[in-house]
Amino acid sequence: MTRSPIQRAPPVTLLAAGLLGVLLLAAVLAPRLAPHDPRHAVPEDQLQSPSAAHPFGTDYLGRDVFSRVLFGGRRTLGMALLAAGVTLLPGLAVGVVAGAGKHAAGPGPWLDAGLMVVMDALLAFPHLLLALVMVALLGSGTTQIALAVGVAGLPAYARVTRAAVIEGLARPHLIGARAIGAGWGGVVWRHVLPGIAPTLLAFAGVTLSWAILNSAALTFLGYGGDISAPDWGVMLADGRAVYRVAPWVVIAPGAALSLTVLAINLLLNGSRR
Amino acid sequence: MIAYGARRLAIALVVAWLALTLAFVALRWVPGDAVDATLGRAGLEDAELDARRDELGFNDPVWRQYLVYLGGLVRGDWGESLVSGQPVRDILAQNLGPTAVLAISALIVAAALGLALGVVASLARARMVRAGAQAVISLALSTPVYWTATLAIFLFSAQWGLLPGPGGRGLRYLVLPMCVLGFHTAGSIAQVTASSVREAAGRAFVRTARAKGLPPVPDVVEHILRVGLLPVIAVVALQLGFLLSGTVITEMIFVRRGLGRVLLQAVNNRDYPVIQGVVVLSAVVYSLANALADVLSALADPRVTGGEG
Repeated sequence: MTRSPIQRAPPVTLLAAGLLGVLLLAAVLAPRLAPHDPRHAVPEDQLQSPSAAHPFGTDYLGRDVFSRVLFGGRRTLGMALLAAGVTLLPGLAVGVVAGAGKHAAGPGPWLDAGLMVVMDALLAFPHLLLALVMVALLGSGTTQIALAVGVAGLPAYARVTRAAVIEGLARPHLIGARAIGAGWGGVVWRHVLPGIAPTLLAFAGVTLSWAILNSAALTFLGYGGDISAPDWGVMLADGRAVYRVAPWVVIAPGAALSLTVLAINLLLNGSRR
Repeated sequence: MIAYGARRLAIALVVAWLALTLAFVALRWVPGDAVDATLGRAGLEDAELDARRDELGFNDPVWRQYLVYLGGLVRGDWGESLVSGQPVRDILAQNLGPTAVLAISALIVAAALGLALGVVASLARARMVRAGAQAVISLALSTPVYWTATLAIFLFSAQWGLLPGPGGRGLRYLVLPMCVLGFHTAGSIAQVTASSVREAAGRAFVRTARAKGLPPVPDVVEHILRVGLLPVIAVVALQLGFLLSGTVITEMIFVRRGLGRVLLQAVNNRDYPVIQGVVVLSAVVYSLANALADVLSALADPRVTGGEG
């Protein structure tokens, strides 16, 4: 009797997958699940501790923290997914072109060198610092943050892709394939990419968890534009004034953020085995 | 070895130069220049703004501005803050110290904690202990600094009164930010340590040592660590990038003076010369740290240099 990959996966990995599923579902279904309007302030209800009406309590404006965490997941995860997209597509393209170009004829090696010089220059900036400077250039807002965080992650993804493509192309049967005249594009597309897909997928996971932490860091620092929007980073920033008397206002969004990243990291650990 | 080090240093300087060029070009690209952003708000007339632009050289072609900027950098003239008029070099010099103290003390905490966690997670006999260490590592990697810092202030300062909260100077005020930043940095150090030690533990010479009947502690463990900890040196140096990002948030939450807060303020005011100064400084430091990491790896394992030794 053969066991499916799901049956063979360690329990921690299954738990992580389940947790991530629940968190994503909660973000998607936030409008249906949230008991209150996340922006609706009820001044006489401010800073109430958790109760049946407000499972995670209320914040300094009397807004329901539970509803804000649900909607915050939508905004934070949406921003992070967009950022990951901004990293992955160009990162993949640059990595593949540079990696395939390295040993190709004609302008290939020059293209590789040129692309990698730009990537190395970008890599010389620490991740969050680069994103921060990009926000200074682009202005505040979620799209701007996604763009900034995405570009900040791009050089690392391009480097990993390039290294994987170079390694993939060096495998003997592909050297053979090229020797009998198969084109570069075909070899990379049909043989190299499927082989290195697990590596690229795993690093995409790493990219996503960076994107979540860094986009929330930027909204925490106040570059998210709309300051009343439910957003995990904004909630943590708002809570800084009152957490001494009402710790639930920072515990809930921080835990949601950490659990999401933890679930992604545990899934990655599980897939590496 | 010296030749490799020199070559690596040269590459680091070239990369830092490229990075500062990139920053220069990007900051000149912004729609609405720095004069608009900072002085335009003050309600000055267009003619006055233009005069200020002339004075700052913003009306010159970009290549000339670039050459002037590079020349200034070399002579130690990093420009002036558009807000306070203070030389950027002085601003950086005044704030470098506190940030360096925070970053280096956090790095020490991170190295000690990271090594300990990594070794325990990979070598501890009891499964539960290994799993526990692994859980702490996962936590360090998954929780954001801006959350744990807030929780740490809440618990250690507000609830238990063990340590002072944000906003003061002196050693007692350094403990919390140093530990919080160090804890997060320890995560990746521990992860690399654990996998490297695990790999070393499976090598043939360890089997031989066991077969000879050497006692597991301390002899076999020493065999393993001697090989397993070599790659970790480089990882510790590489953490500097994370620390440079981390100090921005840590300094803000703990209300500490330093480059991080200077950068945040400059970003909010669109004070481009200051942003550029901080960015160039950190790019140089980060490139040098990466070079140092490579050289340390090479010292640990001569194969990196291609056997030149």
